[in-house]
Amino acid sequence: MRELLILIVIAVGTYAMRAAFLVTARNEPPARVARLLPHVGPSVLAAITLPVLLAPRGVVSVAESVPALLAAAAAWLLWRRTNNLPAALFGGLALWWSAAWVLDAAV
Amino acid sequence: MSPLQGLTGSVAPSVREGCRNSIAVIVAYIPFGLALGATIASAGVHPLLAWLTSPLLFGGAAQLLAVQLLGAGAGAAVVVLGALVVNARMLLYSVSLAPHASDWPGRWRWLAAYLLVDPVYALASARYGRPDRGGHPRERLAYYLAVGITFWVAWQVLTGAGVLLAAVLPASLHLELAAPLTFLLLLLPMLRNRAAYAAAAAGGGTALAASGLPLGLGLLLGAAVGIGVGALVGGRRA
Repeated sequence: MRELLILIVIAVGTYAMRAAFLVTARNEPPARVARLLPHVGPSVLAAITLPVLLAPRGVVSVAESVPALLAAAAAWLLWRRTNNLPAALFGGLALWWSAAWVLDAAV
Repeated sequence: MSPLQGLTGSVAPSVREGCRNSIAVIVAYIPFGLALGATIASAGVHPLLAWLTSPLLFGGAAQLLAVQLLGAGAGAAVVVLGALVVNARMLLYSVSLAPHASDWPGRWRWLAAYLLVDPVYALASARYGRPDRGGHPRERLAYYLAVGITFWVAWQVLTGAGVLLAAVLPASLHLELAAPLTFLLLLLPMLRNRAAYAAAAAGGGTALAASGLPLGLGLLLGAAVGIGVGALVGGRRA
């Protein structure tokens, strides 16, 4: 029950953020908010991604970080070249999967 | 009676194109959706409750964080704050789409807000950025709803399938690799200028350095530092 309540609070908060400007159709946020908003996406997504990518188990290690970095570089390149989300994702995944399989087999 | 009834003739091409574009993007979300379902099903929270985050939060990164924090027994304030910080980018999407939605009927904007999530935003803003600005208000709305509803349904099904299949998905599939790559591909289109790179480097670096802190705190710290550095770099250039 406690968990459901917490999730409902997050749901209401998230909906409020989604609706804030779209529903009121106010085109301009306050100047101070407008200045910080563009940096929210890159900061938060990098803060989520980088630790999982480089240190899946909490520590940076060659066996885990190198395949991850190669996969990330491949996905980046593919996305730049093709602008195609599935191609970039599956290209990066394929590289990572092969590296993981090789490592699994070697251990 | 629905305002869209009787107008299907004029909006049908927009609906078809919205569904088609959405399905092309959904393909890229199959690994992440399945992985997310499987992960949250075994996080120590009731699997049905874990899946309910799909309709409630409708955003994979926040769902993953919320369920993992709940399963690890984190305090309510940390869970709520962490998930809301992860979803705060929706504010930016909301600001950015508002000018294109101002001529939609009010009640459809309420629905549109619920469907607003990264891939829906990406497809809609790409279309509204065309020289014809995405066409008439009705066409713009029809395209948005077609993209949003298609993606919403797919997300509920994919994460549900992940929850149900959690026990039988083989570990050798390494589905856990899908999440960071998916997040990376959300991040890349945002790196449009030096301030964005600075924010991402500072946010990611801080979160990595702080990954020894209790769950969720590294993310909050990284977000705060990243936003601050981004504003500094961006402010100096402006």
